[in-house]
Amino acid sequence: MAVNFASKCSRAGSSLLGGLGNNLSALLSTQHGTTSYNFLSQQVRTFIQMRTVLKVVDNSGAKKVMCIQALKGKKGARLGDTIIASVKEAYPNGKVKKGKVVYGVVVRAAMQRGRCDGSEVKFDDNAVVLVDKQGQPIGTRVFGPVPHELRQKKHVKILSLAGHIA
Amino acid sequence: MRLEKCWFCSSTIYPGHGIQFVRNDAKIFRFCRSKCHKNFKMKRNPRKVKWTKAYRRLHGKDMTQDSTFEFERKRNRPERYDRNVTENTLKAMKKIHKVRAVREFSHIVKRMTGKNAKELEQAKKELQQDISLVIAPSVLKEDQSLTLPAKEKVKVKVKVNPKQAEVQPMEE
Repeated sequence: MAVNFASKCSRAGSSLLGGLGNNLSALLSTQHGTTSYNFLSQQVRTFIQMRTVLKVVDNSGAKKVMCIQALKGKKGARLGDTIIASVKEAYPNGKVKKGKVVYGVVVRAAMQRGRCDGSEVKFDDNAVVLVDKQGQPIGTRVFGPVPHELRQKKHVKILSLAGHIA
Repeated sequence: MRLEKCWFCSSTIYPGHGIQFVRNDAKIFRFCRSKCHKNFKMKRNPRKVKWTKAYRRLHGKDMTQDSTFEFERKRNRPERYDRNVTENTLKAMKKIHKVRAVREFSHIVKRMTGKNAKELEQAKKELQQDISLVIAPSVLKEDQSLTLPAKEKVKVKVKVNPKQAEVQPMEE
C-alpha cells in the first residue's frame, strides 16, 4: 500500500515538475524572442513633446531649438503642428539669438503621420521652421523636403520657399 | 490616381496603402506593406532577398524584356480624357494580360528545359564519386560489426496481490 502510494506521489511530482519545466522553457524562449526583436527593430519614434530638440532648417539664425510646449494635442506635436521652442544653439549675428522663445512649425518628423488617403509618411529627422506669432516664417529660405500637408495648415509661404515637396 | 511601385518588392501600391519614407535629400522610398518597410530598415538589399522582383529579374527567373511591359510606364503628362480611348484601353488591357501570360509561360518552359537531364547527370556523378559510401544490404547482414546490437528483451514477472489491487481508490 505504502509502496503504491509512494510511486503515485512520485509520478504526480514528476508530472508537476515536468509542467513547471515546460513553463520555464517557454518563458525563456519568449524572452529570447522579444530581445531579438528589439535588437532588429529601430527605436520607436514618438511625438514631439517638451524637451525634444529639433533641427532648424531655415536661415533665421537658430541651429537647434528645444520644444517647450506643443500648441495642439495632448501627447505632443506631430508633422505640421506648431510648437513653442527655446533656442539652444544659434549662429552668431543671426536674426534669432540663443535663449529666445520662438514659435515653429514642424516640417519633418521621424514619427509617421497618416495622409488624407490613408497611407503614411515619415522623415529622416525632426526639423522645424521658425515662424512668428502670425505664422509668417522668420527666415527667407527653407532647406530640405517638406510635406504638402502644410497647405492645409495654412503655411503656404513655407511651401513656396521649400525646394522639395514630398 | 497614380499607382506607385514598392521600392523593395516592386509590387503595385494602390492609393491609401503602405508607408513612404522621405530621406533628407528628398528621395522618396515607398513601401507596399510593413514587411517591405522592415526589410528596408534592416538595410537589406532587395537584389539579395529572394522573394523580391529585383532578385527574380537579376537571376533570370522572370521575363524581363518584352514589348508588353512598354505599356506600363511612368508618364508625367496627364492624358486628356477621351471616351473612345478609354474604351479601347480597357479592351486592350485584357488582351495584353493574356499575351503576357502566354509569353511568361513559354519563358518558364524555356528556362526549365534540360533540367531533368542535368539533375540526372549530377546524380550519376555523385554516385560514381561516393560509391564507397553505399554498402549493399547483403554485406550488412554478413558483417555483424556494421549493425547495432539487437536489444535484449527481458520479461520480469511481477506478483500482484489481487486484494490490494481492488482496494486502491482512484486518485482525484
